[in-house]
Amino acid sequence: MTRDLQPALLIGAAALAAFGVSLVNFAAQGTVDAQVGLTFGTVLFAFGGVFVAARRFAPEAVPHLLPPIAVIAGFGFIEIFRLNPYRAGLQRWWLLIGAALATVVLAWISRNGLASLRRYRNTQLLLAVGLLLLPLLPSDGPLPIRGLEVNGSRLWIEVDLYIAQLNFQPGEVAKLLFVVFLASYLADRQPALTGAHRRIGRLTLPEPRQLGPLLLVWLGSLGILISQRDLGASLLLFLVFVAMLYVATGEGGYLVGGGLLIAIGGVASWQMFDHVQRRVSAWLDPFGAFEDAGYQVAQGIFGMGTGSLSGSGPGLGRPELIPNAITDFVFAAIGEEFGFAGTVAVLGCYALAIATGFGIALRSRDRFNKLLAFGLTFVFALQTFLIIGGVLRVVPLTGIALPFMSYGGSALVGNFMLVALLLAVSHEEASR
Amino acid sequence: MPDLLLTLLRLIFLGLVYLFVWQIARSISTHLGLGGNRRARRGGTRVAVVRSENQSGASFTVTDSMVIGRSDEADFFLDDPYASDFHLRLSARDGRLIVNDLGSTNGTYVNGRRVTTPVDLNRGDAVQVGKTVMEVR
Repeated sequence: MTRDLQPALLIGAAALAAFGVSLVNFAAQGTVDAQVGLTFGTVLFAFGGVFVAARRFAPEAVPHLLPPIAVIAGFGFIEIFRLNPYRAGLQRWWLLIGAALATVVLAWISRNGLASLRRYRNTQLLLAVGLLLLPLLPSDGPLPIRGLEVNGSRLWIEVDLYIAQLNFQPGEVAKLLFVVFLASYLADRQPALTGAHRRIGRLTLPEPRQLGPLLLVWLGSLGILISQRDLGASLLLFLVFVAMLYVATGEGGYLVGGGLLIAIGGVASWQMFDHVQRRVSAWLDPFGAFEDAGYQVAQGIFGMGTGSLSGSGPGLGRPELIPNAITDFVFAAIGEEFGFAGTVAVLGCYALAIATGFGIALRSRDRFNKLLAFGLTFVFALQTFLIIGGVLRVVPLTGIALPFMSYGGSALVGNFMLVALLLAVSHEEASR
Repeated sequence: MPDLLLTLLRLIFLGLVYLFVWQIARSISTHLGLGGNRRARRGGTRVAVVRSENQSGASFTVTDSMVIGRSDEADFFLDDPYASDFHLRLSARDGRLIVNDLGSTNGTYVNGRRVTTPVDLNRGDAVQVGKTVMEVR
């Protein structure tokens, strides 16, 4: 029954996005234009396309993952369209490209099997590290690939294709590769990682030798923080590693060790780096730091406060006053124009998508599939938490894209591939 | 009154979004097994023969209580020379599935471990009788 509900829900999500765009149109010019139809077509084509691909290549996949994500993407698109119609036009293309790549991933896995991902483990790790390091290339070098510095962080590369230039954040794809690598590494190493531990009083700690990889990844994520000044990617990398290690072994000692390392790394980077200090003071007292890093957070709070319970209405607020309102702060823009009610609906959709992802992991019997589904869902959930938490002042602000909602091609493409992998895992587990 | 109209449309939009989220949530709750117990009681638990000389692919559904063995009078006939006539009993109670070895000669193994007392089965558990392996679906 629920399987047949999926197409209806996807059409509904596309209709909601089109309805929202028509409201924006209506508020701006009193009439409705072709953008409404285009939006309906784009969302339907992108998610309907992934749906058809999943029917073809992963027919047993869970039917509940795509609908909440389609709603999220539609919601984000309305707000991007309202703030910057030009960027919305680009986002439309990215939605379609992302869906096409998800189809490719599904087709490739249906032909080769998920286990084939385990074959090239070390290549994946090297590729992930290489992608992470790409933005460090000189920005005026002779190569056709150049690193770019945007807002003080070095996350972007500019690829010269001679006919056109493409800006891309390679870290978004590196995240996926890292999760796939970890899943296969931990699936093989699980027996070695459990069992061997030392007791200190009531605390059970893993054998020091087993902590080697933990320390290595910790140093790596600190390296990212130092070289690229990217707090978000650094935290994400380390937390995903600790969480997957814990899930693979069930040993709480790794959580304790990971927590200690985060505390040490956090305090050290706070003392060493000016930009971390500014982020923290903007988090603790955004209005005190209003002239500096607190401005963005404070504007976000003003926006959401103005939005109140049901929002100003799409097109009727002033979310353009929030810096980066279509990328990092899209959640605050939603809060202003759709109010508390809108943000809770968005959070609900995220919760449903994440619950489905963890459900896939729980139901997986193959260790690699389980770890893969968990890791992918955790990356998705953690990004959502870190950026929404940053906007709402639960945690210091880290510049991470809100999955499927923020404007940005690399993030959309990466997240579409993430969803395709989750669908493939659920298909393989249901059909074995 | 365009203002009133816009407010109205906005509220309709939010209402539709919530209707939508509610629909998705309902279908997900069954996926996560939150309604699983009820379904198990109504429809029974399916057990599939995954490894056997002649019966691979066979399956049966336990709704109440079933005796499995090599006798023609067993509820499910097990075509395995190592199985006893009345080898084991599977009973479904309150959404749980319990296996009970009926004093068989060659024993009943759950996930590779021999069981002599009634044992709760979970989804995915393998029950082995002789050379036959059954799996709880």
